[in-house]
Amino acid sequence: MTGQEQDLGFAPEDDAPIPYMHRIWEYYQTLGYGTPYRWAHYAEVPFQPLKKPLAQCRVALITTAAPHQPGKGDQGPGAPYNAAAKFYRVYSGDTALDHDLRISHVAIDRVHTTAEDSNTYFPLPQLQRCAAAGRIGAVAPHFYGMPTNRSQRTTIERDCPKLLAHCRADGADAAILVAN
Amino acid sequence: MCHQTVSLAARYLEENGIATVVMGCAKDIVEFCGVPRFLFSDFPLGNAAGRPKDSDSQASTLELALRVLEVAPAPRTTVQSPLRWSEDPAWKLDYSNIDRLSAEEIQRRREEFDRQKEIAKTIREAPTAAG
Repeated sequence: MTGQEQDLGFAPEDDAPIPYMHRIWEYYQTLGYGTPYRWAHYAEVPFQPLKKPLAQCRVALITTAAPHQPGKGDQGPGAPYNAAAKFYRVYSGDTALDHDLRISHVAIDRVHTTAEDSNTYFPLPQLQRCAAAGRIGAVAPHFYGMPTNRSQRTTIERDCPKLLAHCRADGADAAILVAN
Repeated sequence: MCHQTVSLAARYLEENGIATVVMGCAKDIVEFCGVPRFLFSDFPLGNAAGRPKDSDSQASTLELALRVLEVAPAPRTTVQSPLRWSEDPAWKLDYSNIDRLSAEEIQRRREEFDRQKEIAKTIREAPTAAG
């Protein structure tokens, strides 16, 4: 960087969103898994504006976290990746209750975070506070767990219809989906 | 997979009349898929809803997601949270960065990956898959 550029207040070049698809591609190529993963990619994106003010909307929370499963290995905080804790079916939980959800079964950043605070990936308590304050109309009666399947066909053709049926049964107007 | 899964789910719900917002930390995966609304936090994966043990951060992150839900003018609306994980961006160089791993570590990870894949396969193919 020249002196002239320094005056402009540019951030360091590495201070940009991590290029995950490239990192993951390079990582698995080097590990010896030849065929690159084909990521889902669409040119067209659907759009459904809110049909009423958020203060009147019933909002569903969707997570990829898994209920803690005693006996299935270390699930954290600070657990290494644990495939034994994975799940492969959409599940739901009563939003009026407290839940112990974990993310040891997905590829979080284990160097820089430990998943010690579930509010960083499962904001149900915060969403309940928003409902109590009138910011949203209500939290849907259930939250839903989405399995993270490598097969996009399974996600789209089996899991998404199930998720939609849950949302409709609960009368959800809007949904917040939290990735890990 | 996780960011891709929620992106596909957001698209599906939206196509069927339910407005959505994705909260995530992997900007490229979500935008490559293409979603209606996205609140991006430039945080390590696992912190899409805010910083650990920081209720102000968590509250402001969810509030921003709600704002995106309300006011996005068109699909592919991405808003980046103004919160920073750390003043030093060096953490971004670590995730799955092959340049930072020794040959021994790469071999160890290969073996671990195969082991975990077998475990996942066993669960996936079980007659009553978990969940």
